[in-house]
Amino acid sequence: MSPSPAIRTRNIRRAFESRKGFLFNEVVRTEALKGVDLEVDPGEIFGLLGPNGAGKTTLTKILSTLLIPTEGTAEVLGLDVVRDAARLRPQIGLVLGGERGLYNRVNARENLRYFADLYGVPTAERSRRIEEVLERVGLADAADRRVEEYSRGMKQKLHIARGILHRPVMLFLDEPTIGLDPKSARETRKLVRSLVADGVTIFLTTHYMFEAEELCQRIAVLSRGRIVAKDTVQGLRRLVGGDRTLEVEGYGFEDAEVNALRQLPGVSRLKYEEFGPRTRYTLRVRTTELTPPAIQASLSGHPELAIRERRTSLEDIYLDLVEEEAA
Amino acid sequence: MAARSYSRLRSLTASLRLAILTFLADPQWLIPSMIAPVIFGLVSFMLFQGTSATLVLYAILGAGMMSMWGQTLYGSGWATGQDRNLGTLEPTLTAPTPYLYVVLGRVIWNTISGLFGGAIVFAVVAVAYGRPLPLAHPLEFVLLFVFVILSLAAVGIVFSAAYVYTRYAGFIQNIGEFAFYVGTGCMFPIVLLPFWSNPISLLFPPTWALDALRVLAIPGYQGLSWGFWGDLVGAVATTAAYLAIAGTVFSRVEKHVLEVGNLKDW
Repeated sequence: MSPSPAIRTRNIRRAFESRKGFLFNEVVRTEALKGVDLEVDPGEIFGLLGPNGAGKTTLTKILSTLLIPTEGTAEVLGLDVVRDAARLRPQIGLVLGGERGLYNRVNARENLRYFADLYGVPTAERSRRIEEVLERVGLADAADRRVEEYSRGMKQKLHIARGILHRPVMLFLDEPTIGLDPKSARETRKLVRSLVADGVTIFLTTHYMFEAEELCQRIAVLSRGRIVAKDTVQGLRRLVGGDRTLEVEGYGFEDAEVNALRQLPGVSRLKYEEFGPRTRYTLRVRTTELTPPAIQASLSGHPELAIRERRTSLEDIYLDLVEEEAA
Repeated sequence: MAARSYSRLRSLTASLRLAILTFLADPQWLIPSMIAPVIFGLVSFMLFQGTSATLVLYAILGAGMMSMWGQTLYGSGWATGQDRNLGTLEPTLTAPTPYLYVVLGRVIWNTISGLFGGAIVFAVVAVAYGRPLPLAHPLEFVLLFVFVILSLAAVGIVFSAAYVYTRYAGFIQNIGEFAFYVGTGCMFPIVLLPFWSNPISLLFPPTWALDALRVLAIPGYQGLSWGFWGDLVGAVATTAAYLAIAGTVFSRVEKHVLEVGNLKDW
């Protein structure tokens, strides 16, 4: 019997209403989520990708009890996020990040102490836990400085420290490495992996494809309030048409030549971009048979042709899915 | 049950501690809590110093109330507004403890600093007057004075709920500040106001409490027609009503903001 999922959502919808006009009498309704079904396994790092405004933060806030869905149900750790919010909150951590969300006039230690008390960290353990998380995020040396003196990256680390202070079973990370320098971002990813090793389930939203590829066992792509795909990175590669990507660049292609490219064995998807007079065709390829010489042969009228081969990246997959949804 | 009470008490004390630390770290708070009371007190004293001691006391009590408004009532609401401003409302609301206990911790601190403000007014005016202000019943006066602060705090908690509800609460509170001074009788007796406004004044605990305070402190003071005990019953009843309303309002407001999704707006 498989363990019950850490997160299970059924047809989650969320609409926001805002008022406009001179007397605020015009109601504008925006649907941020349009029926999201999702399951996250315990102990995994689940990545949620999507363009700005896709609904990632809205979904994260619903799952972390900060927003009530307009329709549908969501369970985290077997508890309903609306009905059982009070029981769920001690077991989850939320890192929204950014410049805001901290008490700037006091130092990091006092910020953590305040939230340790609010989250019910045992008093006997409080000081040790605070030291532990400060050490873990690399803020131990700056712990007694006022937060208003912190850089954006340091604030981001403090957000993470606060999120893990009460040892949550489930951690929601909304773009945790945004604003961090490469070294700190790498340390944060290391921290995320160590948390999973401790048994924490992580729900991660990010714009950094390499980060999602490096960390996440499974990924969902959210576009315009809908999940357009969810699978492992390998599964998503298959979904968009293959492991291999071939880029063909040249000038003045005829329609017949483009059709010939499309008909080549193993080509599952073909996109083109124009750069002034140059055109680049990107081919997703399922098989290993199609090689650059074979393409060169089919486009023999183009001696200037440049062909590059690479592995289909998560960024390729993401763009394919999002563009497809937009189309 | 005991665990829940302990967790709420911890949140309350954590919030009290943070309020004190924030106060100490932010010199701007000296204005409403220490400087404004002295200015209010001295201005009132200068206006009334040529009149009888009774009238001076009347005016000083009003000035003390006005300054305490700034610290106790306004401060309690404003602190929640700051949570919106800083973006700390979201992480605080995801904590297991109801937000009301965080507000209560701040209200306790604002009450204490409001008492300081009131005491400073009396001390400064006594120095300017050259002798202690002639209080008829000093001990009872001090006890009632503490209760007056609590009645302000009760209104402050309801204002805090308004700040959770909407970022525009500060706008309403700023506009209402002077109406509150006049409406509760801080400046002059409410019987001088149009009759239709009197029932509105009586909805606020400080109206009753301040009248009781004046009855107690000023020999021969007439005030509202129901006397000291009537004032006291009214003050206790309205304060209790505000506290009861605050509990209900807070849980509803918390639910409402989770439905609307405006917690991050400021």
